Amino acid sequence: MAANNGQNDGVENWEAQLRKGCLEMAVLAALAPGKSYGLEIIRTLEMHSKLVLSEGTIYPILNRLRQDSLVDAVWVESDSGHPRKYYSLTRKGRERAAQMAESWMEFAQGLSSLMEPLLSKKRGARA
Amino acid sequence: MTNHDPLEAYLARLLSALNGMTVSERADIVEEIRAHVLERAETSALTITETLERLGPADELARDYCRGALIRKASTRFSPWLILRAAYAWAKTGSQGFGVFLAALLGYSLGGGFVLVALIKPIFPAETGLWMGDGFFNLGFRTTLPPGRELLGIWLIPVCLVLGGLILALTTLAMRSLMAKFRQLKSAALSVREART
Repeated sequence: MAANNGQNDGVENWEAQLRKGCLEMAVLAALAPGKSYGLEIIRTLEMHSKLVLSEGTIYPILNRLRQDSLVDAVWVESDSGHPRKYYSLTRKGRERAAQMAESWMEFAQGLSSLMEPLLSKKRGARA
Repeated sequence: MTNHDPLEAYLARLLSALNGMTVSERADIVEEIRAHVLERAETSALTITETLERLGPADELARDYCRGALIRKASTRFSPWLILRAAYAWAKTGSQGFGVFLAALLGYSLGGGFVLVALIKPIFPAETGLWMGDGFFNLGFRTTLPPGRELLGIWLIPVCLVLGGLILALTTLAMRSLMAKFRQLKSAALSVREART
């Protein structure tokens, strides 16, 4: 039982590291269709990916992306009564996002073919 | 009626914990977090307090902002103090960072030591120098004069200033370059906290 818990902890830590590594790419991808603000980006990520974020995680990333000139930010008055800080990809950010997407797809496809036999075995065991 | 007090307490804590940033950067961050919390609370079933819990502790959030900012600043500035602070932050992320921190500490101590020797030479001219004898070498300040001959005399000042300045400059340039590289490679790992499951 304890060994099983230890194994689960290992998988959870690995998943957390995986999510961390993907966050910057996911934020850039969320901005690819057009400008967006922090809460909207979080909702987009919640909707389109399994990256369950601590809401505070996203803002330091956006701040750093802006400092690195990958995104622009501008405050806009909104109907909700609160101003929103809208982010949009710069040319450099768009290029970085495209490079990341290309690398990710190659990486994921390569790994998928390696992982497929493991999943087939698991499915076979269930059947 | 919405209770804004927990929000104001959280924002005050965040503002005070955002060290090393300009006033406008800090104000901008606080306003963005305020807007997030208010809109989240108004457009979902979450209360202000629950929304704040989802943001995580204010100190932790500030640390995430500052950690990235510190490395970024250090990779573009020439302040040894700033570079040492950034190297220390890097050291806390793993053995590679620890090695860089030690190298920075060594470089700045050595360079600073040479400059210090140059500065104290005019105050203690007899006790400060470079002595060399039979199997004996000593550079610096000595209260009891060592055996052997003092080699440089007053020339110790320019020699130590040049050597010290060179070591300080090389250490700074090397650290800036390493930090710029580190920022590119590991920036995601630096500025995010553990993703919560």
